[in-house]
Amino acid sequence: MALERWILRFRSLVSLALILAVWQGVAMLELVPRKYFPPIPDIAAGFWSMLLSGELLAGDSLTLGRALVGIVGSSLIGIGLALLGEMVPAFRSAFRPIAAIVQPIPPAALVPMAIFMLGLGFKLYAFVIILVTIWPPYLNGAAALAAVGDVEVKTGRMLGLSERDILFRIKLPAAWPEIFAGIRYAATISLIAVVVAEMLAGRDGLGFMLIRKAFATRIPEVYALMFVCAFNGVVLNALINLLRWRITGWHMRMTERTP
Amino acid sequence: METMLEARELAKSYGTGAGALKILDGISFSVKKGEFVSIVGPSGCGKTTLLMALAGLLKPDAGAVSFKGKVLTGPSAGIAVVFQDYSRSLFAWKSNLENVVFGMIRNTTLSKAEKRAKGRELLAAVGLDGFADHYPWQLSGGMQQRVAIARGLASESELLLLDEPLAAVDAQTRADMQDLLLELAERFQQTCILVTHDVDEAVYMADRVVVLTRRPTRVDHDIVVDLGDRRDQITTREDPRFLEIRHDVMAAIRRFRAETPLAEKA
Repeated sequence: MALERWILRFRSLVSLALILAVWQGVAMLELVPRKYFPPIPDIAAGFWSMLLSGELLAGDSLTLGRALVGIVGSSLIGIGLALLGEMVPAFRSAFRPIAAIVQPIPPAALVPMAIFMLGLGFKLYAFVIILVTIWPPYLNGAAALAAVGDVEVKTGRMLGLSERDILFRIKLPAAWPEIFAGIRYAATISLIAVVVAEMLAGRDGLGFMLIRKAFATRIPEVYALMFVCAFNGVVLNALINLLRWRITGWHMRMTERTP
Repeated sequence: METMLEARELAKSYGTGAGALKILDGISFSVKKGEFVSIVGPSGCGKTTLLMALAGLLKPDAGAVSFKGKVLTGPSAGIAVVFQDYSRSLFAWKSNLENVVFGMIRNTTLSKAEKRAKGRELLAAVGLDGFADHYPWQLSGGMQQRVAIARGLASESELLLLDEPLAAVDAQTRADMQDLLLELAERFQQTCILVTHDVDEAVYMADRVVVLTRRPTRVDHDIVVDLGDRRDQITTREDPRFLEIRHDVMAAIRRFRAETPLAEKA
C-alpha cells in the first residue's frame, strides 16, 4: 500500500523514469544502429550543449511563447464565437458548415497559404495556430452552452435576469468545465501547429532547430529537442490547469470527490 | 382577505392544426393572501404547465393570470418557484450561501455584506446552519431543496410556487420538509401553491385542494380543507375529517384514471 501511494504521488516522475528506462534498454540492445537511436546519456549531452550555448532557451521560449499566444487568442475567439452562436442561433447554423469544412485541414496544409498571404513571421504563426485550435473551445463551448438545462434558465428568469445575464451568469459558468476540456486539447494541437509551422516556414524556434539539426545529422540533439517538445506540453498544460482551477475549481472538486 | 393570485380561463395547447394537443382548457381559480393551496390531478394532466403559466414563465394562449391585481406578462418580483429538480435549479459553481445571495439579485438597497448576513439567517431558518460555505452537491437531496427554498425566500417572495418540491426526497425527509414548509410559510408570510401527485401531502399541507380533470384540463373540484391551522404528522393524518377529504380527492382523481382508455396509457 505504501508503495502504491508513493507511486501515485510521484506518478509523473515515475512515468518519465519508465520512458527513459525503456528507451535506454532499447538503445543498449542496439536493435537500431546506435547512431540513429542513441542512448540517454548521449541525448543528455546534446541537450546540455544546446542549453549551454543558449540556443535551446532562445528557441524554446519562442516556440512556447507562440503556442501560448495562439492558445489564448484561439480560446478567446472560440468562446466568443460560441457565445455569439448561443445569442444568435442563425449564426450557429450558418457557422456549422464553415467549421465542418475548415476543421479537418491539417496545420501543414495551411502553411503555404499563410506564407502567400502573410509572409514569414508572427502573423503566419498566429493564423495557422488559431485556425487549427479554435475548434475544440468553440465546439465544446457551443455544445455546453446549448446543453444548459431548462431549470437553470427558468431559475434565472424567475429572478428577473435578462437574456444577457442568463448567458453570462448562468450558462457560461455552467459551460466552463467543458470549455476547459476543449482548451486543454487545443493546447496540444497548438504546440504541434507551431512546431510544424516553424519547420516549414520558420527562421527560429524549436521546429526550425529540429529541421536544421536533422539535416546536419546531429542526432542526439534532434532527440533532445523531441523531448523538449514533450516537456512544452507539460508546461502548457500546467499553466492552463492554474487557470482551470481558478475558474472551475468547484467542478474539479465535484468530480474528484471520493464516493 | 385580498386576492394574491387569480387565474382566469387559462388555455394552452401545444402544436397546431389537427395534431394540436390541448393541455389547459379554461382553468379558473383564485388564491387569497396567506392561503396554502394544493393542486392535484391525474398523471399527465398539465399540472406543471399550469404552474409555469402561474409563474409567468409560459404565456397562455387565452386567459390571464393576475398577481396582486396586475396581469402577469412574464416573471415578476414577489413570485418564486421551487422546482422539483433542485440539483439543476441550484448553481453547482456557487456555495450554498452564494446561491441564496443570488436570490437577492433584484435587491439594490442591501449592501453585499448585508445580503450575506441575510443569506446566513435564511440558511439557519431552513436548518442549514453551518453549511453556508459548502457546495450544494455536498448535501443530501432534502438539504439541497432547503437551500432552494431559502433562495426563494431571499428573493422577498410573497407567493411560493412549489412544483412537486418533495417528489425526489425520501419518505422520512419528506415529512420533515412538509412541516418545515408549513412553518416557513407562516413565519415569512408566504402564500403557497403546491403542485403534487401525492394526495396525502396535498391534503395535509393545504387550506384548499384544487382537483384538476384529465387533459384537456379544467378545474374539477375545489375542496376546502377544514383541518385548522396546526397540522401534525401523526394526529392530523388520523383525523376522520382528513380521511374524508383524502377520500373525496382520491375518488375524484381515480374517476379520471378509470376513464382513461388503455391505449392512451401506453
